[in-house]
Amino acid sequence: MKWIVNNRINAIYIIIAAFLFLLPFVYESRNMLILLTQIFVFAILAMSYDLLLGFTGIVSFGHAMFFGIGAYSIGIFMKRFEPTMLHFIYAVLATILITAIVSFIVGLLTLRLKSHFYAMLTMALAGLFLVLAEKWRTLTFGNDGFTFRVPELFIDRTNFYLICLAAMIATFMILKRFTNSPLGRVLQAIRENEQRTESLGYQVLHYKIAASVVSGVLAGIAGIFYAMSLRYVNTSVFTMDITLDALLMTIIGGVGTLVGAIIGAGLIEFAHDGLTELAKEHWIFERWIIFFGIIYILVVIFFPLGIVGTLRKFTWKRKKQQPAKKKENLAG
Amino acid sequence: MELLFNLTLNGLATGMLIFLLAAGLTLIFGLMDVLNFAHGGLFAWGAYSGIWIYSTTGSFLIGIIGAILTGFILGIITERWIIKPVYGNHVQQILITLGLMLVLSEMLKVVWGPNQLTANPPEYLSGSWEIGDMIIIKYRVFIIAIGLLVFAGVQFLLKNTKIGLVVRAGVMNKEMVQALGINIKKVFMFVFMIGSGMAALGGVLFGPYSGVIHAGMGMEFAILAFIVVVIGGMGNFTGSVMAAILVGLSGSFMAYYVPELSLAVNMLLMAVVLIVKPQGLFGGKG
Repeated sequence: MKWIVNNRINAIYIIIAAFLFLLPFVYESRNMLILLTQIFVFAILAMSYDLLLGFTGIVSFGHAMFFGIGAYSIGIFMKRFEPTMLHFIYAVLATILITAIVSFIVGLLTLRLKSHFYAMLTMALAGLFLVLAEKWRTLTFGNDGFTFRVPELFIDRTNFYLICLAAMIATFMILKRFTNSPLGRVLQAIRENEQRTESLGYQVLHYKIAASVVSGVLAGIAGIFYAMSLRYVNTSVFTMDITLDALLMTIIGGVGTLVGAIIGAGLIEFAHDGLTELAKEHWIFERWIIFFGIIYILVVIFFPLGIVGTLRKFTWKRKKQQPAKKKENLAG
Repeated sequence: MELLFNLTLNGLATGMLIFLLAAGLTLIFGLMDVLNFAHGGLFAWGAYSGIWIYSTTGSFLIGIIGAILTGFILGIITERWIIKPVYGNHVQQILITLGLMLVLSEMLKVVWGPNQLTANPPEYLSGSWEIGDMIIIKYRVFIIAIGLLVFAGVQFLLKNTKIGLVVRAGVMNKEMVQALGINIKKVFMFVFMIGSGMAALGGVLFGPYSGVIHAGMGMEFAILAFIVVVIGGMGNFTGSVMAAILVGLSGSFMAYYVPELSLAVNMLLMAVVLIVKPQGLFGGKG
């Protein structure tokens, strides 16, 4: 039974993916294309966040830091050197290296302590990176930021859209595989009960650091795509807003589901877009963050599972009424 | 000599402001095991409401009282409606207080507009004393005095009153206090209220100190307060005042000599404390 259900869900995913791949060829709207690209980029960020929050139970308030590192490394490489594929690859490697080192150090320092420490240290470090980006003017041009050219492959909007979509799907599949691997299972065990996992003989700290590093690197890659979609980078990539976006997307979509992160990214980005339009009608909509903040608080109190999680809970409840099938589920 | 003295004074004043914010954080954490990420928002609300009352009534004292009352009210609302529903769940608590921070700082922009407000110290606190070559700015001395006063007051409250006894006992062992027939929920609310009031007081004092206030300052100060809470030891009240002075002084000296590194030095200090003594520099057990 589970196999069929899974298969049906997989089929839906494939249909949606195919639809999104074909969309730019049948529906030509530049704005829509850009919006969807943005959604894919943020979906990568939100999924990387979900790996921490949803699968390991670590709260990070400095995810913008990794995102920003990615955005700035691509920007600096493209600006300083020729915008070729080679330098693009260098930028990706640099991002992976820096984000891995930073997340490793942060994890090493704080993950053996209570969950507050990781949240606090990442928040403070993100603040430090923001100051660094503002002050190191020779490299970052301070607050104003700078524009840069991108390799030829990424110039065309449709191409870039397809690449971002592919990147999102790849991230989804990698993370799906990762969370279902033995390592991912241990991470989920840590989320459920840390002491117990430890007493079963797992080195909890190592697993948590692994999750932190994978998540940081993926967030950095999201940052690369973000900067390339704008062809511009400034200090806003390091601000709390980016972290909050990732947080909102993950929480509203549903923690620990991965798909939820994608859905959340879609919802939030569409809402951004719509509310910016509405701001012309009434000034209160300029402060749209308030609405998100209130929705977020309500979701945390009343629907801690988010959209996808709540839906899944209902399907599970329905299944529980058919015990025979449930047994099959466990076996399969 | 004069420069050193001024930098020290400046550092002490900043340290006192950070202390007012960090003390509430650390008390709340020690007793309730809640790390309130919205504390910076309360700081900013104290600043805005206090400065607004000050500029409409013209009396700084009324402004301060208004800010503290705002802090109390917001503290009670936060404790009752936002934090109480998710007691015992760390991840949810962390998430929800950050959401509150978001709402609080955006609400500031709705009420007072997105631009920054200016604030000047009142007549009797502006200007400076001259002793020999040294110029002592009155308002900084005032902040230091208020900070020490609050420290002494809270210390007195903790050490010499019944409620302080309950709070100290609660920090050590909540269940035991409850078992002895004390309604710890009420104590929680009281501590949260006091902590929020202190944050709001810090905010309103900060207004004339820097000259301008803006909605983002809550976050900036909250980061410093987190650093202080970690260095001083989570839940350690006396540790927090020492750490706040340390961070304030290092901030003011670094800002003069190597301004680029002022936040970095404090971060480094925090990292070292996290590695060597995660329970804080000034405390036995954490």
